[in-house]
Amino acid sequence: MILCFVAGTEDELSQQAVAFAGSLGLGEVRVVAIDGPFAPAAWAQTLVELGAGAEAVIAPGDDRGNELLAHVAAKLEQPMAANCVAVTPGAPATVRRVRWGGSLLEEARLDGAPLLFTVAAHAVAAEPIAAVETVVVSDGASAADRVVVVSETVAASGGGVSLSDADVVVSGGRGVGSSEGFSVIEELAELLGAAVGCSRAVTSAGWRPHTDQVGQTGTKIAPELYIACGISGATQHMAGCKGAKRLLAINPDGEASIFASADYAVIGDLHEVVPAISAEIRKARSA
Amino acid sequence: MVLSGALFTRRVQFLAALLRTGAPVTRNGDTSRRVRNEASIVLGQRKLLQRIGPGLIHALIFWGFLVLGPTIVIAMIGAVSKHATFPWLGDQGWFALLVDVFAVLVLIGVVSALWIRKVIRPARFVGSHLGEADLILALIATIAITLLLWHASRIALGLNEWPAGDAPVSNLLSRLFGRDGVTRVLERVFVWAHVVTILGFLAYLPRSKHLHIATAAINVWFGRTGAGGRLEPLRFDDPDIPEEDIRFGAGTTADLTWKQMLDTFSCTECGRCQDACPAFATGKLLSPKLLIMGLRDQVFADGGSLVTARAGGGADNGPSSAELELAALVPGAVPEESVWDCVTCGACVQACPVSIEHVDHIVDLRRHLVMVESSFPSEAEPMLRDVERSSNPWGKAQSERADWAADLGVRILEPGEISPEYLYWVGCASSFDERARKTAEATATLLQRAGVDFAILGPREACTGDPARRMGNEYVFQAFAEQNVETLNASGVGKIITNCPHCFNTLGNEYPDFGGDYEVIHHSEVFARLVAEGRLKPQRSEGLTITYHDSCYLARHNDVLAPPRELIGAVGEPVEMKRSGKETFCCGAGGAHMWMEERGDAINGNRVREAAATGADTLAVACPFCTVMLDDGVQSEGTGMRVADVATLLAEATAPRSEPAT
Repeated sequence: MILCFVAGTEDELSQQAVAFAGSLGLGEVRVVAIDGPFAPAAWAQTLVELGAGAEAVIAPGDDRGNELLAHVAAKLEQPMAANCVAVTPGAPATVRRVRWGGSLLEEARLDGAPLLFTVAAHAVAAEPIAAVETVVVSDGASAADRVVVVSETVAASGGGVSLSDADVVVSGGRGVGSSEGFSVIEELAELLGAAVGCSRAVTSAGWRPHTDQVGQTGTKIAPELYIACGISGATQHMAGCKGAKRLLAINPDGEASIFASADYAVIGDLHEVVPAISAEIRKARSA
Repeated sequence: MVLSGALFTRRVQFLAALLRTGAPVTRNGDTSRRVRNEASIVLGQRKLLQRIGPGLIHALIFWGFLVLGPTIVIAMIGAVSKHATFPWLGDQGWFALLVDVFAVLVLIGVVSALWIRKVIRPARFVGSHLGEADLILALIATIAITLLLWHASRIALGLNEWPAGDAPVSNLLSRLFGRDGVTRVLERVFVWAHVVTILGFLAYLPRSKHLHIATAAINVWFGRTGAGGRLEPLRFDDPDIPEEDIRFGAGTTADLTWKQMLDTFSCTECGRCQDACPAFATGKLLSPKLLIMGLRDQVFADGGSLVTARAGGGADNGPSSAELELAALVPGAVPEESVWDCVTCGACVQACPVSIEHVDHIVDLRRHLVMVESSFPSEAEPMLRDVERSSNPWGKAQSERADWAADLGVRILEPGEISPEYLYWVGCASSFDERARKTAEATATLLQRAGVDFAILGPREACTGDPARRMGNEYVFQAFAEQNVETLNASGVGKIITNCPHCFNTLGNEYPDFGGDYEVIHHSEVFARLVAEGRLKPQRSEGLTITYHDSCYLARHNDVLAPPRELIGAVGEPVEMKRSGKETFCCGAGGAHMWMEERGDAINGNRVREAAATGADTLAVACPFCTVMLDDGVQSEGTGMRVADVATLLAEATAPRSEPAT
């Protein structure tokens, strides 16, 4: 028997994990979901009890699945492999898993019983989940395991559009001049449905939070269009936006290094250029 | 006396046993240098005298006690019998004079030290054990005063073995006493007070911060003798080291080397390290002094179990040191934030009068955090990943590494080719960073103008691994060290020119540990020589004032001070900043801080304000990271100076009239 944890029947990674479990040839696949708020240690205790005698206990390879199985592994004192794309059962089993954010595939032996692993995204095609058993947290879970503490709540920045996923990002650099100066950047971003970003000089000056920083020490972005306003194009910044498909640079200094990477260049003061672009967009939309 | 001796011996035996539990580190060899260090740092008080006022005070007390040493024995003999003394020396008038003079100098030292501590109250003492220091000063004063009074009472009683006139101070004090029974009692009181204070001091000493009297000279002896910038490599795959003894930096006191333990015993809490620290100066949490004190407290707290575990040694004889459940050094003894505040500039190490090596401690703490706990500032993660994946810290394509040289006709050494006399190691910053590239262009142009035969490795040059190493990722560093050494050795490289002090330090001081032995030359050294030989003839710009910022890894860690200054003098008018040469103040990029966010005030801002205060037109640098940091600083401070590498300035000053400057 294989015990396969799922987050829900509609969850794509869970569907892939169940399909993967079926392909292993280790018998029946028992698919379970757990009701109630996420409490990794308590959920793991529940899986440990349900999985007694199972050949394998598996979960989807997302943050929660990996955390959950790590707890299961700790409780059983067995090894666990995360983000597997192929598993060959045996003694020991061999696994192929994704390392370093997808840049490496590692072949490894997994010597444990039951086999504990999570399934990497797109290891197999998703299939609809036929039947899922929804359970509650087992009585065996200790009071301490059930306690989940919220240590930090990170507010989303940029008016709800996430920097790393946005199709358009409008960033300001030192040339913006002040925290208040960002109003023109925010205005343009809002018109474009874009996220607001900034350079390291801006976060160092305290004009914007670090969560807004685009760069080597901030967020690396890959939008369709990146509008860099008053940013000189330091290496540390360019390392964060090199994934952008198109780059529009606005800077008064024609010698600024950002123009070397720009697809579109406007040599001018952002405080004149950006409001003009916003006005033009408004005019076009109202026409 | 027996009690004092027993207390002293027991404590010393315990400390020695504790040191034997320390992890191994080689500090042998180079005896002549070690003897010279003892002579200059201990006897000559060289590092203390880096601060002339407090240094002189300490030197007076220290030299005083060297002279007064024999009087301990003389007083002990005198305590037993008032008519006996040490053969010969006890009878010498000149020695009585010396004792008189130095006892007074010690008292002057004590009073001045109290003046500093009680009236001036410098910030460097914040967090030190001040009460303990007062007690020790009081003991020292008591020793000197009782000695003088004892001599004075002996003169009054006519018991002096030497002419009274030879000891003018004691002679003067003798007028306080009559030749009567009271004085006879007082003479006994003084000598016993003197002896008992010394014995009390002896018993108290190894339990106090004054342990440095016993350990400082030893710590100085075992101090580093090579370049300050070299880090001790971790041995991951040395077959001679059993697997359980492989260190991944320092997680608990059981991981500390014996030298690191000895460092903590030697700290006097003087705070000179803290005063010199750029992180502390800009409001970061790190104080190198508090870091060492925190480690020392933990070493003493764990000391008993470490010694027992070592003696028992596992199996049925109790836990081995690996099995001890010791508290984590971070955050127990040292807050995690302060571990990451360090820029590895080495100002603390240079300031320390007893040769404590703070940077080695910090890097070992980082190594454990990174390699075992995977706990480090998240903003540095992309750098580590990019070094590992792309061979440079910005994730640029290796194929673009030589793009800066595309129009310059620089030879790129192909696999299988043998290097010409000089290999120019460009470094990641000068290859990829827009501002630092100007240095690479200037360097290549100047070498061509002077007719130097050189080549670059182009895409086969990889990061030296320095930023990963300073972050604590020794594993990634060693992989790059091995790869680069293989490339360089296969190309028969003998001499390397580099314009990056970090590459300079790593290639020259650290690659020998991985089988790479090269003569590594900083570009400022090459150009200073070419100017001196007349192969480069710069036009000096009268009235162009230039202040030179020393890079920590060039000046402090590697003693390259004169060549860049010769170049500055050849192209303009030099103006020195107060903190220059080996006393330089970091730009803020070292220790992988180029890739970390700064908390508190900006180090580069602090430095740029100092540079601007000189009134110089140009801020010259000799490091690509200093270039970027200080240029950023100039922009955020709005000081409007030009920041340029010495190579750029020299290239402009040697440009043929028709050719535009690079």
